[in-house]
This record gives sequence, C-alpha cells and structure tokens, in this order.
Amino acid sequence: MSDDDSGEGLRAQGLAALDRLVDATAAERIAISLASLGFAIIVGTVLVFVSGFVAECRDPFIYLPGLGFGCYNPLEVYWTMFIGSFGSMTDIGQTLLQTTLLLFTGLSVAVAFRAGLFNIGTQGQMVLGALATALVVLELAAYVPDNAAGMLIVIPVGVVVGGIVGGFWGMIPGLMKAYANAHEVITTIMLNFVAIGIAFWLVQVHVGDLTTDSVQTESVPAVARLPATISGSRFSVIALIGALLVAVGIYLLYKRTVIGYDLRTSGIQESAAEYGGVNAKRNIVTSMTLSGVLGGIAGAIYVMMVQYRWQAGIPPLGFDGIAVSILAGNNPIGVIPAALLFGSLKTGSVAVDLSLGVPGELVEVLRGLIILFIAMPEFFRMIGKRFGYGNGSVVTDGGEA
Amino acid sequence: MQRRTFLTSVGAGATAGLAGCLVGEGDDDGGESDITVGIIYSTGGLGDESFNDMAFAGIEQAEEDFGISYQNAEPDEPADMNDMQRQFASDEDIDLVCCIGFDHETDLAENAEEYDDQRFALVDAVVEADNVANYTFREHEGSFQVGHLAGLLSTMDYAHGAGETNTDESRVGFVGGQEIALIERFEAGYIAGAQHADDGIETPSAYAGSWNDPATGQEIATGMYDEGADVVFHAAGGTGGGVFQAAQSAGRFAIGVDDDQSISAEEFSDVIVASMVKRVDTAVYESIEAVVNDEFESGMNDLGLEDEGVGATIGQDFDGDLPDDVIDALADSREAIIDGDIDVPDNLDDL
Repeated sequence: MSDDDSGEGLRAQGLAALDRLVDATAAERIAISLASLGFAIIVGTVLVFVSGFVAECRDPFIYLPGLGFGCYNPLEVYWTMFIGSFGSMTDIGQTLLQTTLLLFTGLSVAVAFRAGLFNIGTQGQMVLGALATALVVLELAAYVPDNAAGMLIVIPVGVVVGGIVGGFWGMIPGLMKAYANAHEVITTIMLNFVAIGIAFWLVQVHVGDLTTDSVQTESVPAVARLPATISGSRFSVIALIGALLVAVGIYLLYKRTVIGYDLRTSGIQESAAEYGGVNAKRNIVTSMTLSGVLGGIAGAIYVMMVQYRWQAGIPPLGFDGIAVSILAGNNPIGVIPAALLFGSLKTGSVAVDLSLGVPGELVEVLRGLIILFIAMPEFFRMIGKRFGYGNGSVVTDGGEA
Repeated sequence: MQRRTFLTSVGAGATAGLAGCLVGEGDDDGGESDITVGIIYSTGGLGDESFNDMAFAGIEQAEEDFGISYQNAEPDEPADMNDMQRQFASDEDIDLVCCIGFDHETDLAENAEEYDDQRFALVDAVVEADNVANYTFREHEGSFQVGHLAGLLSTMDYAHGAGETNTDESRVGFVGGQEIALIERFEAGYIAGAQHADDGIETPSAYAGSWNDPATGQEIATGMYDEGADVVFHAAGGTGGGVFQAAQSAGRFAIGVDDDQSISAEEFSDVIVASMVKRVDTAVYESIEAVVNDEFESGMNDLGLEDEGVGATIGQDFDGDLPDDVIDALADSREAIIDGDIDVPDNLDDL
C-alpha cells in the first residue's frame, strides 16, 4: 500500500499516504479492501504453487522441467474455497451459520473497543454462557410442551440465560478495571482459562453425560433447537436476523444516545468523563458487562443452533471475534461484512480440507493472508487517525479507532 | 494454538500431503477395489505419533492391499466433526466413513440414522445402529500387562539403555491426559498389574489435563522419578513426549502408549522399555476389509489381549535384553487374563 520510491521524500510521501488513507471515503475503503483481497490471492497463489513442488504426491497436476512435479493447483484451491462457501444452498447455510456466531463475538469485542477497553475474554464469556444455556434448556424442556409454543419459551430463556452468565463473567474484569485498576487485557485473558477450567470440571464431574467418554452434556431436545432454515445445514435465519438487529442497535446506541456517548468517553478519558459529570467507573463496568452479554449470547446460539449440546473444545469464535472487530474498525455495522468474510473463509477451508489434498495448515496460511491484507490498510488508517492525520479526524474520537 | 498446529504439521505435512494427493486415484497397485473410504480423525490430528497416525497406518495398509481410495479429514475442534460426517455420509462416491475417537459418538448417533444407506465405522465408542460397526478396546488388559512389567522391574535391579532401576523403593507412576473414563481404564489396569507383581508397590498417578502439553507431562514425571519411581507409563497422547524427556534426564524407564513408541518416538528408545499397543490400525483395516469383501456387519467389536487388539510390546532397544523370568511372567499373566483367571478392573473403584 505504501509508496516504493526511495530517498528523502519517502517519509513525507508515506505520511501523505496516511493522510489520504485516513480521509478515504466509504466507497474508497471498500475499493481498497477488494484490491487487498486481490493481492492476498496473488500472493497465496504463488505460495500454494511453490509449496506444491516441495510436497510429494503420486498425482501431480503439473510438471516443470528442472523443478519437478507440482502437487497443488492454486486456482483449484481458491475455486474450491469459494464453491465450498457459496456453491450450494447448504454451503451458504454453513457460511451464514459461522457468520451469525462471529457477528455476536465480533460485536462483543467491538462494544468494549468502542469504550477503549480490550476484551480478550469473549471466548470465556461464550464458553460459560453456552454451558449455562445448555443446562437450563435441558431442565426447562421437561416442563414445556414439545411444540412451537414450547420453543417460544425455551429459546428466549436460553438466550437470556446465556447473556446473563456471559455478562456476569464480563462484569468481573470490568469491576477489577474500574475499582482496582487491574488492566483488562490481563484479567480477561486469565479469566478465559478460569472459565474453560470451570466448565470442563463441571461437565466432567457433575453435570455432563456420563455415558460417554467425551466431555459433554446431553443433547438438548428439539424444543431447544433453533429451526433450520436451509436443509442440510443447522443455520437458522432467526439467529442471523437477531444478530443483525443487535448490530444496528449497538450502532444507534453509540451514535444517537447519551448513554452510548457516556460509555465511550468513560473508557477513553476517564478523568474527562468524571469532570463532565459522568460516573466513569460505573460505565466501564457497564461496557464490559454488555460485551460479556454478547459473548454469552454467542454461546447460547452456539448451543441451540450449532452443536445442540455443550462439548469441551468450543471453537475459538471469541478469539476470531477480536479479528472480526479490528477488521471492521470496531464499527458495529462494519462487523457485518467482516463476519461474513471470516465465516466464508472458515466454511471454504473445511471444503478444501475435505476434497483436496492440500494440508490444512496451508489453507490456514491462505486464510491468514486474506485477513492480513484486508486488515492492514484499516490498521494503518486507525493508527493514522489516532495520531491526528487526515482532515476530518479528531483524536478524542478514539473510540472509533 | 495456531503455532502448535503449524509445528505438528511439519511432521504431518509430508504424510498428509502424500495422502491427500492420492484422492481420486483408483486402482494403483495391490488389489483393484473401487471402494472409497472417508476417514475423520480425532482432534489430535495426524502427526501425533500415536492414535491418529495408527488409524492412518491402517488405511494406508488397506490401500496397499486392496487398492482402495480414501479422503482424510482433520477436525480442528469436536464441533467440526458433525459437518464432516455429514459431508462424507452424503457423498455418493464414499462407501465407508471411518470415525476415529469417542468425540464422534453423539453426532454419529444422529447422522447414522439420517444417512441410513451409508456405512460407518466408529473407533473407541459405541453407536447402536444397523449401519455402524463399532471398535472398542479393552485397554485395561493391555495396561495390566505393562503395569505387571513395570512392577517386576521396580522390584529388581535392572539397567539397560539410558536407564536403571532404583532398588530402594518399589514405585511406578502413571501420567494421564484428560481425566476421563477411557483413560481411567488405562490407569486401573496399570495399577492392578503393578500390584500383581508386588502387593506393596506405590502407584502415584496424575493427569496433565491435556493431550498436548509435554511441559506439564515432564514436570509431573520428573516429580515421580524424584520420589523414586522406576517406571512411568503415560496415556496422554502428545503430552507423553515430556514423560520420555523426564525419563532420560532421570535415567529411569518409561512406557509408551497406542503404538510402539520406541519406534515412533525413536529418540527416546533408550528409555522406552515397552509400549501398551492399541491396534487402531487393525480396527480401521478390518472395517475396510469387511466393506471390500461385502461383509460389512454392524455391532460391537471389543478387542482385547486375546484378539491382539491390545498388548505389551517390548521396546526395540530392550527386545531380547529383558530377563527371561520377566518375559515368562508376562506371558503367564497374559494367559491368565485371556483364560479369565485374572479379572482386570476397568475402573478405579474396582481396584
């Protein structure tokens, strides 16, 4: 992205580019992202092609004199990735399923970021929320009719329970930050381990399904399963709509309401907020709790739409949420396309793993390249904005940075 | 976590790459079956030098003997297994789906019902359905054998390779991965075996809490050796590497698991006196053989000492060096277990 002229003008040109980047319009930013995607694919293509000559296989797709046999066809890899995520209705369902979960975890991280707080603990909040949801709906299902009416009771209760438990787990680092000055990065990371440990121990020793060697709860009954929209996939459009509404709601909260403004300023400039008559400490706790609630809801949706039970080894959706949020510039609306990108990459790489002989690790690299290339311009934009480049930016607006 | 995946891939990459490129190949060599097998591993993945690599060895053997084709799938998390099962099950080219590991159980119970025209093989768990062949192992029987060996060594003066026993005390250790019923079977059998050799033997055991944490494995095992343990047996997947490391540092012995680890983890062959071999490869191979011969049968296959599904395999450096009376005692207890004269406990409560 930067100018490649050498010499004294380089620094000035770089800064000018930074200025330009910070001032980029929405349309320009989309164009930059698409171009980055293109570059990522070009670099990935070279990488896959070259590594094909190092690997051994019996059915190479190409022979180059002097170089030997190439095992992997890069075009086929990318094509499979694309078809695997959008090629059929089932594939689209799987992509949207991942997207929905990443929307919740991405929003969870974004909410904290907007208030100047780094919530690395979404994973732990999700794991505990998921377990609470699984246990409560397993209990509750016995008392409700096994029909749509029962579903209308069980599923909302499941979401609320997941949110409450996740919110509680998010509130703890919030309190520690506000009243004990403990940095939330450290506390949230550590609380992830605590959450995963507690959940594992509870399920293994007390509340799990003891008939199996797997560390898991019993499967939730049909009444606690979000109705599938597309056959062949467990994706439910209800969850996606819910996630989209939450994204819009959070956008409006920060953009249009006094509470949202207070939440932002409290995290970014605590003393200034206090001076302005805002209870900054309470708002820090509120931001972290809200972030935890969203993480917990991600867990609830995971149980009721994806796995239909709690099982040790919940995928790292909470950590992916950090990347989704950063890619989106911590903008709740931007989280939507970012989650879609991550969701399709996830589904696409499963397809490559299943149908081509390319090692999963290489596919991870391709995924990483795409994310890195798209995130970089946005990253520089955030940094530039932070240090006051561009015309329209104000440093105090760091919540968006 | 990503980094770990990448590191293991260095080992797995070559084999996985090799395997993958065979996809779609029909009848190369050996037989000429047009059977295609889809195999889904457990989360440990290829390159673990034990459980999953054993399954892979079984499928490679089947490829060589019958000319079958296969597709590998390596889930990152248990959550990926459901989708992979469904993708393979609905693939018309696939004649058998092999599911490796107990984490497959719950999803397979639903999918086997939904895809009732597909055939499945399940290793390490049981799904009762007309289209699922289950393969489980009596790990406690094999563990009894290595426990017996460990107990005998602990009570005698023995030095070979990089290890020697400590004659002051009679003590043997156990290191598990996660504390689950399956691994408790290893532990119970092992302790029973050690006690069979010496009633008064001390048998400390501990769990690392993970299948892939060699540092913790080393820490635990070092503690056991420091307290005078002569032999430590691990049933902890990748965590076991740390146990071998500790054995070499302490100059004592260790026992491997799943496959002959004196070969698969050859750098430690001078301390790996034996391995509790669990023939996952045989299970995979037999399930494929049945499909090739059109003899697929659902139901249980519980493989113990008698079927050679489990057993003690002496390490390559120790083969032929162990005293004859030890070898004879092992053979005797093996016979006694097969004949039912020794009742091996499969959980700690029955010890």
